[in-house]
Amino acid sequence: MVYAILIVGLLAGVPIAISIVAALLVFMGLGDLPYTLRIVPTEMFKGLNSFPLLAIPLFVLAGEVMNESGITSRIIGFASVIVGRMRAGLALVNIWASVIFAGLSGSAVADTSAIGRVFIPEMEKKGYDRSFAAALTAASSVIGPIIPPSIPVIIYALIVSGVSVPALFMAGVIPGILLALFLSAYVMLTVKVDHDAAAEHDTGQSAGQALLAGILPLLMPVFVVGSILLGVVTPTEAASFAVAYALILGVFVYRNIALRALPRIFASAMKDSAVILIIIAAVSAANWLLTYNRVPNMLTDWVLANVDSQTTFLLAVIVLFLLVGLFLEGIAAMLVLVPIMHPIAVSMGVDPVHFGILVIFNLMIGLITPPLGLCLFVAEGVANVGMARLIRSIMPFFFVEVLVLVILTFVPETVIWLPRVLGY
Amino acid sequence: QTLRVAHVDPDDWTGSKKGAAAQIFKNIVEGESDLTVELFPAGALGNEDELVSQAQDGLTQVVLVSGAMSKICPAASVLDIPYTFSSAPLAWEVLDGEFGDALAEHCLEQTGLRTLAYGETGFRNFTNSEREIRTPADMEGLKFRVQPIPLYIEMVGALGGEPTPIAWTELPNALSTGVVDGQENPVGVIYNNGLHKLQQYMTLDGHVYAADFLLISDEFFQGLEPAQQEVIQKAAIVAGNMGRSIQQWNTAEGVTKVQDEGMQVYSPTAEELQAFADAAQPAVVSYLREELGDDAEWIDRLQDAVAAASE
Amino acid sequence: MALVFVVIFFNSLRRYTVGRSVTWGEELPIYLTIYGVMFGLALAYLTDSHIRFTVLVDTLSARVRRILFLFSDVATVITGAALAYAGHVFAMRRGDVTASGLKSAADALASSTGIEALVWLGRVGPYQYAIAFGGALLAVAAALKLVERLTTPAEV
Ligand code: NA
Ligand code: NA
Repeated sequence: MVYAILIVGLLAGVPIAISIVAALLVFMGLGDLPYTLRIVPTEMFKGLNSFPLLAIPLFVLAGEVMNESGITSRIIGFASVIVGRMRAGLALVNIWASVIFAGLSGSAVADTSAIGRVFIPEMEKKGYDRSFAAALTAASSVIGPIIPPSIPVIIYALIVSGVSVPALFMAGVIPGILLALFLSAYVMLTVKVDHDAAAEHDTGQSAGQALLAGILPLLMPVFVVGSILLGVVTPTEAASFAVAYALILGVFVYRNIALRALPRIFASAMKDSAVILIIIAAVSAANWLLTYNRVPNMLTDWVLANVDSQTTFLLAVIVLFLLVGLFLEGIAAMLVLVPIMHPIAVSMGVDPVHFGILVIFNLMIGLITPPLGLCLFVAEGVANVGMARLIRSIMPFFFVEVLVLVILTFVPETVIWLPRVLGY
Repeated sequence: QTLRVAHVDPDDWTGSKKGAAAQIFKNIVEGESDLTVELFPAGALGNEDELVSQAQDGLTQVVLVSGAMSKICPAASVLDIPYTFSSAPLAWEVLDGEFGDALAEHCLEQTGLRTLAYGETGFRNFTNSEREIRTPADMEGLKFRVQPIPLYIEMVGALGGEPTPIAWTELPNALSTGVVDGQENPVGVIYNNGLHKLQQYMTLDGHVYAADFLLISDEFFQGLEPAQQEVIQKAAIVAGNMGRSIQQWNTAEGVTKVQDEGMQVYSPTAEELQAFADAAQPAVVSYLREELGDDAEWIDRLQDAVAAASE
Repeated sequence: MALVFVVIFFNSLRRYTVGRSVTWGEELPIYLTIYGVMFGLALAYLTDSHIRFTVLVDTLSARVRRILFLFSDVATVITGAALAYAGHVFAMRRGDVTASGLKSAADALASSTGIEALVWLGRVGPYQYAIAFGGALLAVAAALKLVERLTTPAEV
C-alpha cells in the first residue's frame, strides 16, 4: 500500500519528497490516530534539527552569490589560459573549470548550471555538437562534490559517526583529479578537431592577466577548505565564511551585485536548499518506519549470509548503488543505504574513508544517469536538445566514470593515500 | 506476540550497560516464554524523550532510559539530589526496597509506564583541564559543561563553578576549543568517548547517582498472561542487575585506563566529600522543593529511606 | 536565510575573537532554517522546481500530462493538509519542552520587556510548529497552482 502510493506518486510526477510524505502519512494514519501520525513530523523535524546540516543552505547560498558576482567567468578565463590552446581546448576548459569550481562549491548541480550557461552556447559556436557540450558539462560537474568542499561528504559524515569531514575531504582530492584526467584523455582522443586548434579558445589574455583577474576567487578554496582541514572551524562555519567572502567580492570588489539584488539571491538560495533539505526530512521519516519494521536488519543479515569476500561485496555495492542511483536522488539514497552498508563494509575490512568516497562517487555518477539525474535535467534545461539525444551523448562519459570508479575501488591507495600522509 | 525493546546505548554487551541489560532480557524472555523480543539499540528509534513517548503510544513496549524519566515523572528527579548516595550498594538497597517500589507506583500512575526494574548509568564525576579539584573552592571560576537541565545548573553554581549548558554532541568540540574548562559524567562515558584525552584532571566525587529505568507500557503488560508477566518481571530484574554489573566493570576498568593514558585522578576524603555535599545540597533541595510543588514530599521520603538504609 | 547566515557568521567570529559563543547561536539558526525550508517548500512548488520524475511524464501527450499535473496538485493539497494536522499534533504533544540554548535568552527578554508571553520563545513548541506551518503553506501553494492550471487553457 505504502509502496503503491509512492510509485504512483513518483511516476505521475508528484515531487519526490511530497510522494514520500504522502505515503508515510497514509501508512501511519491507518494505525490508531492521532498518536502514530505524529511520528512523521517528529522525524522530519529531527531530520532537519542539526547544526552541521546548516552547511548545505550556506554552500548553496555561496554558489548563488558566486554566479552573480562574476566569479564564474573569472574561473573560466583562468582555465582557458592554462588548457584552452590544447587539442580540443574548449572541451578541456569546460572540464578544468569544473575542477576549480569544485574547490568553491559543494554541489554538482550548481556547477552544471553555472558552467553550462556559459559553455554550451560557446562550444556550439566553435563547432562542437550542442548535445555533446551539454553532456560534457553535466559529466564534468560530477567532479564538484568529489573535490572538497562537498555537501554529500558533510551528509555522509553526519550519517556515519567516527568518519571525519576533513579525512573525507582530503580523500576526495585525488579521485576528483583522476576523473578530470580521464575525461580529458577521452575528449582529446575522440573529438575530431576540424579547425585551427590553436585558435580554439584564446581569450587574448596572458597567463599573468588571467591569474590576476582570478586570484581572489582562486584563493577562496584555499581559505575555505584549508580552515576546515586545519580543524579551526566546523564546515558550517566555513560555509558562512565562504558566503561572506563571495559577498564581499561581489558587492565591494567587483561591484556587480547591487544591494537590492540581495533579497532575490537569498530567496532563490532558500528555495534551492529547501528542495534538498525537504528530501532529507522526508527520508528521515521514512527511515524511522524502515527501522521500526527491521528492514535494515533483514538486509544486513541477507548480505552477510550471501556475500563472503571483500571483492564480491565491493562489486555488489557498485552495482547496487549504480542501480539505486538511476532512480533515487543521491542524498536520499545515502540516508537509506549508508547506515546499513557502512557497518558491513567495516566488518569486511574495508577502510571507512575509502568506502565513503566510493559511495559518494558512485551516487554522483547517478547525477548523469536517467531516469532521475539532476545534472542531466539541468544540462537539458540549459541546452534544450531533447532528453533522448542528451542521454545518447552522455553514455560514453558514463562509461569513463564507471571505469574511474572501478579503479578507485580496487586501488584503495588512490583514495586513502592522501588523508593518510596528512595524518587523518 | 512481539516486544520491541529500545534504548540509546550501543548494542555491545561488554561495554554498554543498557546493551547488556537488553540482551539478557531478550534471552530470558525468549527462552522462557513464547514471546519474541526485537532489540532497537543505539537510538535507532530516537532519543530517550522520543522512546518514552513511543512507549506511551504503544509503538514500542519496553524502553530503557535514564535522564528522560524525570521529565515525564518529576518526582524521579529527587534521585539527582547531589551526594545522596555514598555508595552504589546503598543506592541499590534504596531503589530495590520500599522507596523504589513506591516511586515506581507513583510514576506508573503519572505516565502509564511500569518500572519493571532499576539499572544504573553510574556515579557522575567532574573533570577539567585546569587544576586538581579537592574541595568546592577549587572549582571557583571554572566553566563546566552541564546537561541542559536546571538542577545541574543549580548544583554547579552552588559549588562555585560556572555552569554552561551545551548539547552532548558539541561537547568534544567545546572542550578542545576551551569554550568550557570541564564537564561531568560517569567514568565509563568519559573513557568510551575519549573525553579523558581532552581533560587532565578527574575528581571521583560521585555527585549524582544516575539510575536506569526499565519501563514497560502498562497497557501492554496488563494484556499478557500471568505466566508471561512473571517471566518479563524476572528478566527485567536480572537485566537491571546485569546493567549495574557491566556499569561497575566499565567504571573500574575506566579509572585504570584513563590513568594509564595520563589523566590525574583524585579520590576525595570523607571530609572533602562532606564539604561538597554542604555546598551543593541545600541549593538543589530548595530549588527542587519549589519546582516539585506537591511532589516535594518525595525529597523527604528519599532522605528517610537513605537514612534507614545507612544504619 | 540572510538571518541564518548573519547569526552563524557573527557567532563564529565571536567564538574566535572573544573566545565564547552565545548559547542560542546554534539553535536559533537551525530553527530559522527549518522555517526557511518550509517557506522554500511552498515556493519551490509554485515554481515547479521540486525534484521529480519527469521521464515518463515527458513521453505522454500534453493532455495526459495536464491531467497528471492536476493530479499532482490535488495530491499535494491533501498531503499538505494532512502534514499540517500531524504537525499540529506533534507540536502540541511535546511543545512544552525547553529549548536549552534559547531558554535563558527568552527569559531575559521576557523580564526586560515585561511581556510574559516571550518566555514561550524559550520552548521548542513555536519551532516545532514549523512542520505544521509548512504543511499548511504547501497546501495553499498547491491549491494556487491548481487554480492557475485550471484557468490557463490547455496548450495543444
Ligand atoms: Na566541491
Ligand atoms: Na540518476
